Amino acid sequence: MFIITDQAYTEEIGYEVSELPKKKKFFRFLKFYLIHGWRDPEFSDQEYQIEKIKSKRRLFRRLLKPLTITGFIMVLFVLILAVYAPWITEIPLPELVPPNIPVGGVPFDDPSADHPLGTTKYAYDILARIIWGARTTLFMALIPTTIAIGGGMILGTISAYFGGIVDYIIMRFVDLMYAFPTMILVIILIPIVGQALLTSLIIFGILFIPYNIRFMRSLVLKVKQLEFVNAAVTGGAQKFKLMFKHIVPNAISPMIISFFGGAAIAVLGLAGLAFIGYGDATVASWGTDINWARESLTAANAVIWPGIFIGIACIGFMIIGDGLRDALDPRLNL
Amino acid sequence: MTKQSTNMIKYIIKRILIMIPMLFIVLTFSWLLAHMMSMSPLNSYGNILDPEILEAERRRIGFYDPWYVKLFNYYKNFFTGNWGKSYVLRQNQPVYDMIVKEIFPRTLELMIFPIIISPIIAVKLGISSATNKDKAKDTSIRVLAILGAGFPVFWIAALTQVFFGYYLGIFTQGAFDLPVFSANTPGLFGPGPINAPKTGFRIIDSIIYNDQIYFYDTLIHLIMPGIVITFVSLAGVTRLTRSSMLDVLDQDYIRTARAKGVSEEVIRNKHALRNALLPTSNLIILGTATALLGSFFVEVTFRYTGFGYTLLMAIVRADYNVINGLVIFMTIILLTGTLVADVMYTIIDPRITYR
Repeated sequence: MFIITDQAYTEEIGYEVSELPKKKKFFRFLKFYLIHGWRDPEFSDQEYQIEKIKSKRRLFRRLLKPLTITGFIMVLFVLILAVYAPWITEIPLPELVPPNIPVGGVPFDDPSADHPLGTTKYAYDILARIIWGARTTLFMALIPTTIAIGGGMILGTISAYFGGIVDYIIMRFVDLMYAFPTMILVIILIPIVGQALLTSLIIFGILFIPYNIRFMRSLVLKVKQLEFVNAAVTGGAQKFKLMFKHIVPNAISPMIISFFGGAAIAVLGLAGLAFIGYGDATVASWGTDINWARESLTAANAVIWPGIFIGIACIGFMIIGDGLRDALDPRLNL
Repeated sequence: MTKQSTNMIKYIIKRILIMIPMLFIVLTFSWLLAHMMSMSPLNSYGNILDPEILEAERRRIGFYDPWYVKLFNYYKNFFTGNWGKSYVLRQNQPVYDMIVKEIFPRTLELMIFPIIISPIIAVKLGISSATNKDKAKDTSIRVLAILGAGFPVFWIAALTQVFFGYYLGIFTQGAFDLPVFSANTPGLFGPGPINAPKTGFRIIDSIIYNDQIYFYDTLIHLIMPGIVITFVSLAGVTRLTRSSMLDVLDQDYIRTARAKGVSEEVIRNKHALRNALLPTSNLIILGTATALLGSFFVEVTFRYTGFGYTLLMAIVRADYNVINGLVIFMTIILLTGTLVADVMYTIIDPRITYR
């Protein structure tokens, strides 16, 4: 026989229904009488747990499509390569970047027991460079996109909220940046400001801010007309609190989705920059690998593998972005 | 004249007037870019000059003038068509001539095939993907589109170059196969007599002057880059067509059309497609404006002297007159392109009204 006791019930749910001594009860309920809108913390905690499980289930059910799972696996694969790089390959990073040239190695060699994917310029091991390059790729995906989306979010919200002269100035600036071909501007600017990895990441991020300004502005303009904004204004909310606490959380989900698309664009763009020879040679990066491999037309291994890994990372990000868009906005079929 | 069209004309005039201050800001910006460069074309890459000649050249271009004089001269030279001359890339050739007579026609020659073919294929793929939603055809088209967008362009280009050019030997690998009649040799052995008037489009020129070897060589250099650019630029239009087509197919009037017995083909091609193409057409027109600038990475991989490759060579050699000229020219194309896109959009979709 199995009888559910209170004990078993509490164990299953995972929290305790505490028995309070009678003496404290008055003080306990005092705040209900005195403070308007106060709720029992334990009760609301329970409610919170249930809501969390519910919403998680809904979101996950919509996210779990075969294509999206494939995307998650791809990005997870790159993530694992990046995190466990020293454990996966025995060759440390300093042996794979230019000041060090391996003694007695054959450049652009075919695969062998020592080098499972062959060697590239200066006889560096391709597999090891790919594994260490995963870290660089994750930096390339995260830093520029964070700058671009963060900057776009702040400026776009300010532009849409204030309107008038502020809006006019910011939008003329955006128009100006739209007039230039962005990728070309990156290629001109990076030789000028220097090729260090962080510099190029920041430049890339800053130049992609205008697109996000325009996007965020259109989103905020929609949300601004909703009634809760008026309610917050009536309640006496300050401008910046209204903007970033009330409006932004309600307008942000398309921006979060575009984060993944932006990550793919950033990885591709920065790999392209490395491909034309303006990458940072002191880190292992897949774009630089392809650039080096062009010196030898017969080095098929040195060209194919880095490209495949760039493809895995970018397609992974793109598919996750699509899946999230489907999950968060079921009306849209993209 | 109806009210709509007067509004549109007003809007166009307003846009053109906005373009003028924009052009000045762009000019200033590119002037700043040139001044930020750390290298000088006068002593880059084997161009080490005699100090006296260097000094004379600096005097001639006004190196020692104050910045406002330089900026004013820069504006003046821009509007009088005196864009300076190329120091390194083409010995002493005026930049304006170089861009208008050589690089722009060559870019157009490369891009005209993708500009025409790519939207057609992409819209067709998008339609068949939407009408076969969640079937094998749909999945394979989506995978194809995402492959073109996800893999690096230069990687795809390099692979086709190595595969078709080196292993199969069908097409060329770039510029190096026909040394005398190389399609990329600038102005060295153009089709026809040296001083004859030319359009700059090599195919047209070789037809005019009846130069068959040159025609064949130019054509074979255009095929591989053209196919690669077409494949790569499919993704965006395909995905947008698919999504807007799916949106439209859900609407009530499609159900009404089906209920009254219109055939599926007519529904697809007349009722649904015409409405679904509205957002797509905007993307296509904007994409055409961008495509006129050439495809940077494909040009660099195939060493094709369009905008992209010339710009890269100019950056590497610090030939800043060429950089300036190219950036300004590209910006003007983009500005005009966005203007045309907006105007076309009002013509296509009469519901849109402009202030």
